[in-house]
Amino acid sequence: MKLEVKNLRKSFAGTEVLHGVSFEVKSGKALGLLGRNGAGKTTTMRILMDVFRADNGVIHLDGKAFKPSHEKIGYLPEERGLYPKRTVIDQMIYLARLRGFGTTEAKNNSKKWLKRLEVEEYETRKLETLSKGNQQKVQLAATLVCDPDMIILDEPFSGLDPVNSQILKEVVSELIDDHKLVIFSSHQMSYVEQFCDNIAIIDKGEVVLQGDLREIKKEYGQNRLILSAENLTLQELHDKLSQSGKYPVKIDGRTKDYLILRIEDAVTKNELLTTFIHSDIRIEQFGTYEPSLNDIFVEKVGDEA
Amino acid sequence: MRKFSIVLQYELKEYFKNKSFVIVTLLLALIGGLALFAPRVFDMSGFLGTSSAQEEEMEVIEGEEGTMLLYDSENLVNREMLKEVFPNIAWVEVDSTDTIEDKINSEEALAGFHVVSYTEYDYYVLNRGLYNDENTYFEAVLQASMRQAYFEENNLNGAELETLFSTPITMNEQVLGKDSAGNYWYSYALVIVVFMLIVFYGQMIAVSVTNEKSNRAIEILVTTTTPNSLLFGKVTAGAIAGLCQVGVILGAVLISYQFNRGLWGGMLDMLLNIPAEVLITFALFGIGGYLFYAFLYGAMGALVSKTEDVSKSSGGLMFVIMIVYFISLMQLGNIDGIVMKVLSFLPISSYSAMFVRIAMGTVEMWEIIVSFAILVASIFAAGFIGARIYRMGTLRYGNPIRLTAALKELRKSK
Repeated sequence: MKLEVKNLRKSFAGTEVLHGVSFEVKSGKALGLLGRNGAGKTTTMRILMDVFRADNGVIHLDGKAFKPSHEKIGYLPEERGLYPKRTVIDQMIYLARLRGFGTTEAKNNSKKWLKRLEVEEYETRKLETLSKGNQQKVQLAATLVCDPDMIILDEPFSGLDPVNSQILKEVVSELIDDHKLVIFSSHQMSYVEQFCDNIAIIDKGEVVLQGDLREIKKEYGQNRLILSAENLTLQELHDKLSQSGKYPVKIDGRTKDYLILRIEDAVTKNELLTTFIHSDIRIEQFGTYEPSLNDIFVEKVGDEA
Repeated sequence: MRKFSIVLQYELKEYFKNKSFVIVTLLLALIGGLALFAPRVFDMSGFLGTSSAQEEEMEVIEGEEGTMLLYDSENLVNREMLKEVFPNIAWVEVDSTDTIEDKINSEEALAGFHVVSYTEYDYYVLNRGLYNDENTYFEAVLQASMRQAYFEENNLNGAELETLFSTPITMNEQVLGKDSAGNYWYSYALVIVVFMLIVFYGQMIAVSVTNEKSNRAIEILVTTTTPNSLLFGKVTAGAIAGLCQVGVILGAVLISYQFNRGLWGGMLDMLLNIPAEVLITFALFGIGGYLFYAFLYGAMGALVSKTEDVSKSSGGLMFVIMIVYFISLMQLGNIDGIVMKVLSFLPISSYSAMFVRIAMGTVEMWEIIVSFAILVASIFAAGFIGARIYRMGTLRYGNPIRLTAALKELRKSK
C-alpha cells in the first residue's frame, strides 16, 4: 500500500492553515509528522480521515482516490473520547462491529488488544473509573481493535508514563513489522527517531523538510564534525577557533559536551585533524557529527519542540 | 443499514442496562398499578359513583347533622316533606330574621331559611363552603310544597299528575357517523399520551445525541460510520426505549385495572374499548408524530456540545409542541372545522389533529393517506437534516450553534 498526499490546502474562516502539504508513506514504514503546536499536523490527519474536507489537493492510495470509509483504518484522534459511563469491553465490541466485524470476532479482538495493552483486567469496568493512562491505553486498543491496515495516531504518547510509552512503542514496532502503514504525530522526537523511517516536518502549514530519516541525518551531518578539548572549556575552544582564523572551520553549534563544526570547502577531515594535532588543542573528542532529530527539528522550525 | 442496526442495538442495550432507567420504569409501573388498588383500601364510592341506589337516596339526607332555622310565617313549606329530605336536621321555627342571624353568628345553627313566598326565600349561612347544597334541597321542598298546595286548591290528584310528568322514555340511539361524545375522552387521553411521550423522551434523546459531543467520542464515531446511521440509530433507540417504558407502565395499570374493575365501577372501560381503527390510527399518526419530534430533538441536540445547553436549543421546539397541543385540545369541539383540517396535514400537528379527526369527525381516505405520507417524508427529512447538522457540528465544541446559522451553513455546503 502506498499513500500519497499531494498539495493539501485548507482554510478556516478565510485563513489558510495548510498551504499545500504533500508527503507519501508505504506499508511496513512509519511516517512521523512533526511540527510545533498549530503547525497543521492534526488538520492534515483530520483531512486524511475525512473529518474535514480539503479545499484543494488529492490523496491517493495505490494510485486511486483514497476513501477512508472503504479502508480498515485505526484512528486515534487528538481529542480523545469514548463513552465514560459505559464498560470498556462493550464499547470496544461496538466500535469493532461498526468497522465490519461480527460479534464474536469483535469480542475476541477486543480481548486480544486489551490484553496486549495490559488493561484486560478493566474490561468490565466503566471507562470513567480508570486512570488517565489506562483510559489512554483503552483508547489505543479501540483504535487497533479492527486489525487495521493503516494506523493514524495523533500524539499517541501524550498522557502516557515511561512504562506505558514503552508498551506503545513495542506495539507500534510490531505493527510496522506486520507491514502496516503507520502515520503518527508526536512532540517526543526520541520515539519518532526509534521507529520512523520517514519524517515530514510541518511548519506554519507547509512541509519544510521530508524524506528518509537516515538520509536527512546524513545530509545534515555532511561536512560537520564534533570537537572537544581536554585542556580547554567549550567556551575557550569556541573563542580560540573563531578568533584565530587559522582553523578552516565555522562553528555551527554547541551541545553541553562538544562544539559542532562545519568544515570549509576544499578541506578534508584528515587535513583538519592534522591542523588540530599540530596546535595546542589537546583533543578529547573528534568525529563525524550525527544530528539528532531534535537538532534537525530545532534547526528547521527554529525553536525547541 | 447494517451500521444503523448496530448503533440501534448498542444504544437500546445501553438504555435497558441503565439502572436509573430500569428503576424509574419499574417504580412508575408499581405506583400506577398500586394506585388502582386504592378503592380496596379507601372508601371512594362517593367519587366513583359506585354506591347503591338506596345509599344514593340516603346521601342527600345524610348530608348534614345539626340544627337549621325556619322563619315561615305564612306556613308555606310542607314540614313533613322537609323532615323527609333532611332527616338528621333538627328544624327550629323562629319568628324573625334577627333571631336567625344571631343563632347563626353564635354557631347554634348551621343555616336558616326565611320563606317570603313560594317563589322567594332568604338563605342564611355563616360561611359558604364549596359543597354547601342545603339551599338546593330546600328549594326543591318549597317547589313541591307549592305544587301540592295547587293540587289541593284545585282538587287534583297530585300523585297521578306527578307520575304522568315523570313517565320514562326509551331512546334507541343509531349513530351513523362518529359518536363524538363517546370518543371524546379516549381521544383526549391518547393526545395527552403522545404529547407526554414527545415532551419527556424528546429531551432524553437530545441529551443522548449531545453526549457524543460532550464526551468527545464524536470524532471516532464519524470516522467509523455515517452520520445517518449514528443519528437514526440513536434517535430510534431513544424512541423505542421511551415506548417500552410507557408500554410497561400502561401495561401495569391495565392489568391492575382488570383486577379492580368492579371496584372502579367500570369507570375506565372506555379506554379499554377503543375501536380498532382508532388504535391503528393512533399507532400510525401518534408514533409517527413522536418519531418526527424525536428526530427534531436529535437535531437540536446536535447543535450543542454540552448537555446543559440542550434545553436552550430545544426551547423553540417545545414552544411549537405546546401550541399544537393546546390548539388540538381546544378544537376537539369543532373537529370538522378548517383549523383542524389544516393542522391534520402539517407534520408538526397531524399526530394529534388527523388522529382526532379520524376518531371523532368525518375524513376521506385520501386525506389520511396524504397526511401520513407527508408525516413519513417529514420524519426522514428531519432525520437527514439532523444527521447533517450532527456531522457539521463535529469538533465545534464552543457556544451552541443557532439553528438558522446551521441551516445557512448546510445550504452553503451543498
